[in-house]
Amino acid sequence: MPSTVAPGPKITLDGKFFHFTAGQTVLEIARENGIKIPSLCYHRKTGPCATCRVCVVEVEKMRGLQASCSLPASDGMVVKTHSKQITEARKCVVELMLVNGQHNCMSCERNGSCELQDAAYELGIEAPSYIVNDPVEPLDDSAEMVALDRRKCIKCGRCIAACNNVVVNEVLELGKRGSQARIICNDDLKMGESSCVQCGECAQMCPVGAIIDKKSRGKGRSFATEKVNTTCPYCGVGCQIALHVDRQANRVVRITGREVAPNDGMLCVKGRYGYEFHASHNRLTHPMIRKNGKHVRVSWEDALDYAAERIKGIVDKHGPDVFSALGSGRITNENNYAIAKFTRAVIGTNNIDHCARTCHAPTVAGLATAFGSGAATNSIDEILEAHVLFVIGSNMTEAHPVVSYYVKRAAKSGATLIVCDPRKIDLAHWASLYVQHRVGTDVPFLNGLIHEIFKNGWQNETFLRNCTENPDDIRKWVEDYPVEKASEICGVPVEMMRKVARALGTAKNVSIIYCLGITEHICGTDNVNTIANLQMVLGHLGKRGGGVNPLRGQNNVQGACDMGALPNVHHNYQSVNDPRVAEKMARDWGVPSVPTKPGYMLPTMLHKAQDGGTKVLFCVGDNTVQTEPNMAKTIKEIQALEFFVVVDIFQNLTTQYADVILPDVCFNEDDGTYSNLERRVQRLRKAVEPPGEARPTWWIVQQLAQRLGVDLRFTSAQAVWEDMRRTSTAMAGITYSRIEKIGIQWPCPTLEHPGTPILHLDGKFTRGKGLFCRTDYRQQAEPPDSEYPLILSTGRRLWHYHTGTQTRNSVGLEAMFPEELLEISEADAGRLGIKTGDMVAATSRRGSITLKAWVTDRSPLGLCWTSFHFFEACGNVLTIDAYDNVTKTPEYKACAIKVTKVADGTSPKALIARQARP
Amino acid sequence: MNAIASLDSDIIAVLKGYPDATQDQLIPILQDVQARLGYLPREAILKISDHCSLPVGRVYSVATFYNQFRFRAPGRNHVQVCRGTACHVKGSLSTLDTIRDHLEIDNEQTTHDGEFSLEVVACVGACGLAPVLCVNGNVHGSAAPDTVRKTLSSYRAKEKSHAATR
Ligand code: SF4
Ligand code: SF4
Ligand code: SF4
Ligand code: FES
Ligand code: FES
Repeated sequence: MPSTVAPGPKITLDGKFFHFTAGQTVLEIARENGIKIPSLCYHRKTGPCATCRVCVVEVEKMRGLQASCSLPASDGMVVKTHSKQITEARKCVVELMLVNGQHNCMSCERNGSCELQDAAYELGIEAPSYIVNDPVEPLDDSAEMVALDRRKCIKCGRCIAACNNVVVNEVLELGKRGSQARIICNDDLKMGESSCVQCGECAQMCPVGAIIDKKSRGKGRSFATEKVNTTCPYCGVGCQIALHVDRQANRVVRITGREVAPNDGMLCVKGRYGYEFHASHNRLTHPMIRKNGKHVRVSWEDALDYAAERIKGIVDKHGPDVFSALGSGRITNENNYAIAKFTRAVIGTNNIDHCARTCHAPTVAGLATAFGSGAATNSIDEILEAHVLFVIGSNMTEAHPVVSYYVKRAAKSGATLIVCDPRKIDLAHWASLYVQHRVGTDVPFLNGLIHEIFKNGWQNETFLRNCTENPDDIRKWVEDYPVEKASEICGVPVEMMRKVARALGTAKNVSIIYCLGITEHICGTDNVNTIANLQMVLGHLGKRGGGVNPLRGQNNVQGACDMGALPNVHHNYQSVNDPRVAEKMARDWGVPSVPTKPGYMLPTMLHKAQDGGTKVLFCVGDNTVQTEPNMAKTIKEIQALEFFVVVDIFQNLTTQYADVILPDVCFNEDDGTYSNLERRVQRLRKAVEPPGEARPTWWIVQQLAQRLGVDLRFTSAQAVWEDMRRTSTAMAGITYSRIEKIGIQWPCPTLEHPGTPILHLDGKFTRGKGLFCRTDYRQQAEPPDSEYPLILSTGRRLWHYHTGTQTRNSVGLEAMFPEELLEISEADAGRLGIKTGDMVAATSRRGSITLKAWVTDRSPLGLCWTSFHFFEACGNVLTIDAYDNVTKTPEYKACAIKVTKVADGTSPKALIARQARP
Repeated sequence: MNAIASLDSDIIAVLKGYPDATQDQLIPILQDVQARLGYLPREAILKISDHCSLPVGRVYSVATFYNQFRFRAPGRNHVQVCRGTACHVKGSLSTLDTIRDHLEIDNEQTTHDGEFSLEVVACVGACGLAPVLCVNGNVHGSAAPDTVRKTLSSYRAKEKSHAATR
């Protein structure tokens, strides 16, 4: 809006005045003000590279045409963006591009969404005026998800900048030069054989049809599909995506990243390409009841009547506490709230929990004790502002890829990246300091750092004095952990510990990022508290670019906690045993009372099945059998239940034990919200019709409640959200209409509140002052011995998610990672006569699995690693049912195993190495 | 197996001369490796990338930007065809085409038997003799299509008789 009084520099574009901020380019100002200038090499995310010259403009007092994308505006500059001369120059550029490639718009994927085509159209180019017939090479179709068609490449360089500087996967480059120049992957490998992780950023950034989403070919171009904005159904980053929907086929045919927070258009291979599962033939489509040991199809009426009658019968006879329910980190906020309310208001017990128990419960507990709020303190994009990034127990390039792009970008532009992990994970390659501590020695390692920080006077005294409750305690407690002693326990050289302490202690700003390597131990809550201790000593809390930032695992595990799918709190962490809260809930829910005794945690629910303490389990989206440790034991417990209801979207190991199976809808078949790892509540939208008779969980809960005599008034996802909001605290200000375009970060207590990107601002903690907690080293529950000499740690892989139901029912992911691998160090493998590709048996005291070996320097001596994605060889057959003493989170990261060779390998080593990247 | 091992040790020997190398030393390193091995094998690109902490693609991109680097082992006889202006005027293109057809390889390739490798070069400074062909550094002038086959066979023959006497 031009205004004559506002100060600051001005520029004239096509005769009109515009204000701008110093540093802006002419192109940026034009774009901001709706003046169209084509740009083929420039993109906001990759910046100017000034090669194509299609963006030229005329500038008074400057000779020749100027590339506006790289021309900084100056006060008083007078610019023409359109003239005959400009048009001629642009025409010449575009014609040259057209004749130098083979641009067949008719059958091009990008027809209608191609920037070259748009430019040609606007310039009125009908057909290029001459033809160059250079030989061109065939399509590179070797990768599963991304196809590279060099015939259409205009060598704008955007993909290269995107791959190297935006997602920092560092695959693409320009080979040769001049007319011979071409896009290459690594040292000119086929894309499918290169180190490309198929994130698809290059495809999204390519202005033409040269890099395309392979699976979308021929499935409908941009003008033929409807775009539905929603949230990625995989990890807790909560990337914003646009589904390209073919209405007629009732299918998603393509996904693109939306250029808004938190992902700014970037996605990972699962988020961009793992979508076909919604339309899989394997989906559950109708209710089923077990009759004579077999699951038979029944109507919804029959299934619901039966379930309600059985639940009522058992609860009436034995009391409400024999009922337990599991919400899920994979379903919406609304559905988690619905189940929690059903459990509390209709059944009358607090026995509600979900899979955060198996991952970040120690975070919720530990950070709530230390700070008063159990969630990440800062936002994802602030990673770019940290001076030091301290990453511990997070294999983020696989489990939270988009966060890893930010971290790698920060490291590349000068931040000090410290990576601590027993495994030499991919991120270690970008680190300034890589620390390989022993599994489960986080407490002594971190206490050693704190000791060293105090010893050198690097602690933030002001913060300690003003913002924490017991600063003298921590100083005293860590006296037991001089680096020399800590080093002996954690195996990190003293010199390295000193270096890390110095980097942390002398930094302007430190962001601590951690994940399940911290929480999934018998000392998980202690580990979290030690991290909180460290950051309070450093004092980088309550400000931009700092904080304690746990990476929540699943798409909505933050939300499931926020919604009170936990045995001790209602939604927004309102304690069940606070009488005022109980009274408020009872009044609002229109029930005589709500239970005030905290319910069972997940392991306890299962535990109690064996002695009849738990008789009914209502389980939504969990696949308990495959995700809990010690699978044999879990199966026994589930078999001991009297009545077991499962709501899910696929058959899985758990559904086979169900008395009733109810088909749920998936992420794009209903409305709702997810909360991501930075506490941002984001919308989910219905894009397709659900298969068969699948119904949303809130509907199922409403129907069951009705049959038990209570009308919960759940009529839509939005109605459920509004129901929650009435008694909400931290989310009372968040409505669907407010998060229409972009999500809001809680706390957001009122409709006027903008949301809270940073918690504990200026060191004013939610609980008042920060609390240091004492932590001491404890050995893992099952240390290796002569019979089971190796340690097994488990986790997640880039190509798969959870128990594989979604990723293994999508096209291409399974092709890239078709079977489970056991990672083992060269030394251990050598001793056992194992080569990469050999079939090995991994055995613990609880069971045995057979899988392929991958001998790798990722694993240190004595440590093996695998995931739980494949039911055929699931790590949880081996893992131990030993739990964190505070939160009952299992020690997935350490149990004792032995490994023996079963058979020599048959598939080539290269194939496995390729499968195993990144 | 041994060949690979010695390749590796050659590369490592070069890299030893560049401790803490950065992007700035990339070209000298590439030149040193090529001087030692005659070309830049894939292993070298990978090792250099690791050593300098640069993406593989970056190293390869820099190497291919300059014409001085070769990526395949040279043949026992290295054939250079001049495509400078004087030679062009005297018909060096058909000379080149003849050689390509005869050896069944393209620019920067090596025949399967490892006998010949082909490189297109700019003026070699013998314009008076155009069109010019160099084999192992020996200049052959007036290299018209009908004579080049014979020139090349003479090298093959030389190589054969040499082998026979061994
Ligand atoms: S898909 Fe991602 S990793 Fe692969 S080349 Fe493109 S940007 Fe790079
Ligand atoms: S592939 Fe696309 S983005 Fe990459 S240089 Fe070619 S046209 Fe540009
Ligand atoms: S990083 Fe996570 S949220 Fe983003 S696309 Fe991948 S799985 Fe989805
Ligand atoms: S967009 Fe400005 S030079 Fe390409
Ligand atoms: S042009 Fe060929 S030798 Fe000079």
